[in-house]
Amino acid sequence: VRARDLAGVALEVADGEAEAVVQVESSGLARFAGSEVHQPTLIENAVVTLRVVRDGRTGTASTNKVDADGLAALARRATEAAESAPPDEAFPGLAGPAEPAAADAYDEETARLGADEQARLAASAIEAAGDFPVYGFFTSGLSDLAIASSTGLALDQQMTDATALVVAADEKGSGYAERTAWRVTEIDPSAVTREAVEKAERTSDARETESGVYRAVLEPYALAELLQYFSYDTLGALGLLEERSYFSGKLGEKLFDEKISIADDAFDPRGFPKAFDFEGTPKQRVQLVEGGVAHGVVWDRATAVQAGNGAQSTGHAPPLESRDWGPLPYALSVAPGEAPSVNDLAQLVGDGLYITRLHYLGVVHPREGVVTGMTRDGTFRIRGGEIAEPLVNLRFTVAVPEFLREVYALTREPALVNAQSFYGERYPYGALVPAIASAHFVVTGLGSRPGI
Amino acid sequence: MRELCAAAVDAATGAGAEYVDARVVLKRDQLVATKNGHVERVSDSESEGIGVRVLLGGAWGFACDRRLSLDAARDAALRACAFAGAAPGRHTRRLASVEPRTATYRTPIERDPFEVPLADKIQLCLRADEAMAGEDVLVRQAMVRAQREHKFLLTSEGTEVEQELFESGGGINCSAARDGVFQTRSYPSAHVGSSCQAGWEYADGLDLVGEAPRIAEQAAALVRADECPNAITTVVLDGDQVALQVHESVGHPTELDRVYGTEASYAGTSFVKPQDLGSLRYGSELMNVTADPTTRGGLGSFAFDDEGVPAASVPVVEAGVLTGFLTSRETAARIGAGNGGSMRADGWNRMPLVRMTNLHLEPGEGDLDDLIGDVDDGIYMETNRSWSIDDKRLNFQFGTQLAWEIKRGRLGRLLRDATYTGITPEFWGRLDAVAGADSWRLYGLTNCGKGQPGQSAHVSHGASPARFKDVQVGVRR
Repeated sequence: VRARDLAGVALEVADGEAEAVVQVESSGLARFAGSEVHQPTLIENAVVTLRVVRDGRTGTASTNKVDADGLAALARRATEAAESAPPDEAFPGLAGPAEPAAADAYDEETARLGADEQARLAASAIEAAGDFPVYGFFTSGLSDLAIASSTGLALDQQMTDATALVVAADEKGSGYAERTAWRVTEIDPSAVTREAVEKAERTSDARETESGVYRAVLEPYALAELLQYFSYDTLGALGLLEERSYFSGKLGEKLFDEKISIADDAFDPRGFPKAFDFEGTPKQRVQLVEGGVAHGVVWDRATAVQAGNGAQSTGHAPPLESRDWGPLPYALSVAPGEAPSVNDLAQLVGDGLYITRLHYLGVVHPREGVVTGMTRDGTFRIRGGEIAEPLVNLRFTVAVPEFLREVYALTREPALVNAQSFYGERYPYGALVPAIASAHFVVTGLGSRPGI
Repeated sequence: MRELCAAAVDAATGAGAEYVDARVVLKRDQLVATKNGHVERVSDSESEGIGVRVLLGGAWGFACDRRLSLDAARDAALRACAFAGAAPGRHTRRLASVEPRTATYRTPIERDPFEVPLADKIQLCLRADEAMAGEDVLVRQAMVRAQREHKFLLTSEGTEVEQELFESGGGINCSAARDGVFQTRSYPSAHVGSSCQAGWEYADGLDLVGEAPRIAEQAAALVRADECPNAITTVVLDGDQVALQVHESVGHPTELDRVYGTEASYAGTSFVKPQDLGSLRYGSELMNVTADPTTRGGLGSFAFDDEGVPAASVPVVEAGVLTGFLTSRETAARIGAGNGGSMRADGWNRMPLVRMTNLHLEPGEGDLDDLIGDVDDGIYMETNRSWSIDDKRLNFQFGTQLAWEIKRGRLGRLLRDATYTGITPEFWGRLDAVAGADSWRLYGLTNCGKGQPGQSAHVSHGASPARFKDVQVGVRR
């Protein structure tokens, strides 16, 4: 079943002003632990979300019963929801026809991967570890997204994605690696495992360190997650309008090191390209930070109307169930630097920390951009410009703006870091980021030793 | 539903599976949300399908299909078998025995939440929204929700269970900003309010409109409040924060699948080891924690879990000592204790995982005033705001929406940006008072994440205010 066909049928059934968003998923995920597959999941689903407008009143319903009866019931429930609501003067209206720029993110080979191949690729990740226990998954999927409206909008895009993720862990230590792409041929699960195992083997006999401010190198896995959490409040228009963004009142000011430039770039073929958002607005490349200066945030139609200052949607409306957050940057891209490798970053740091990845982040102060969390699966001391002894997992409490204020360097080659956790409907996205060396990373406590 | 499940079970056993369970799930969710006097969302979602889990050659396989037809059920069963057959690794799995049962269960409700007109729900939210208007208030939000999950489980061992579970809930949020300070207050909990397995009588009983002015006043007061100081001091937590503390530092570490490492690639593992059962000093003698899926109103309540194991109350910590785990049939067999009872799946298209059901800190004595009255110098913290804990569930840092200093047994200055941090068994070892049954409330969370692909579980925690000595508060960056 194609999403665009379902969207068309749903609109016909709605019989009036309406918008249909359809997500069709076909995916497999072979999850393993202790080098054995224990949660293998094959999913086939199609979800139709219908937004009905009646005299300025809006109501929404969704279903995965996509036969005639199911869609008729969907239209009835959406209409009932609309007719129960008062007219909303802030409703921006449904999007009209659009012709987004091309954004190819579909790979036939990836789309055709079946359960056997998914299991085989998980097996190659497991086998590459030899006797070292590994935990992780291989997944691939096809996501088909369509949006159509009674105002003439009719867009659809098929997207593929594949990810191999490995935590290599025994009682002495642990290491982490992942690769994600929209073409499965770019994923070598055994290489992911080798990277994780190599890291794990260097983390035994982890030592403690004092709380305090450190210089630090963050691998792309860690930087991507830190920026993701910072972005929820700071890099979207809703946070700006509601004054919980760090950028509130600071747009146009130099806030970070001049080496820091951040964009949301849905057209970069190294990421997960997207043509349009969940309101049907064509994606725009948005410069968020340019040379350390706060340049802008991402917008959707609702926040553009709310702002009332001529702002326009940049094509960043999230799925309906995530719209409480407002528009979100689904394609964060940090401009790379000049450093050839993370070892060169360590040289610049001289004395500090080397951090592979982060765990369980939480926003402590949204307005100040303060995020807490733990390091995990590969934390080391940097001494004399070299990556030295392993450390226990560290609790950090970092004001992201302070972390970005004095940056020694970034690596030349960015890596795509997966950002979807595969909750709800599949929608591939990630951040394209290099590794970074910063002067300000605050350790506020000690956690457990790496390892299982 | 039974016919579909039977077709799946027959197809999988015919393909060689030594064990099969098939679940048909029909779920409906309704959500109404308002913001600053506007209707943000009126949504009515339904989802249905069949999920088939097989054990073939000792390997698990799971496949699902949204189509509720005999062909789709058989197809899902065969795909699950194929996936299990292709699974790499060493496969040796045993399931704890469970007596096959046939049963039905329905949440006791007074008023079907789906019979309440949407217009009434919208008006309730708009009235609560309006009642939060005030100086410095920037964002006013109100929401109510309802859920019905109708599911049928059939196993190849003969278990047949049909259950219909209802949830109702709601909450309000109010954010204020002044001079660059941004603060939020919520009622009855942050994170999409609070829910119970109950009819609409629960949402009505929250009195969102009546509580709204107090929440707005507190949000406005917070933007003028002093920051929580950095200190090691006595901390009194309200029931909401105790619930979160139990969830993160007792619930997750005692999930036996995490203990065995099967969640290592995502949510993490546990500092608790299988051999700790019966001997690990988890906290002070005042610490008693029970997992109880029979709790009336609990979001984790059921008659049978998603493996067909009957609901039973299980002590997890008694007088500060670890005495139980949250288990599946597989992990129970592996540790050689119990027969599971904590397996839950997020809908038809996810495998069941070991999840919390309703995990309670058992009440002690006295009330909040008694807990505060005994403190010469300390801090009282209320309503969770931020949360983070390490992959073994040892080092945590939590923040609350508001706090007050305690001086000579009385509440003093209001404080903002309160945080506290600790190491799980050390922190629980400093528990020196738990308020009594009159202060004990059920807090329902709907955002507990676990698994790959991800699953959100709905769980409840019963808790009353509790007091902890020598806690690091006011973590500075």
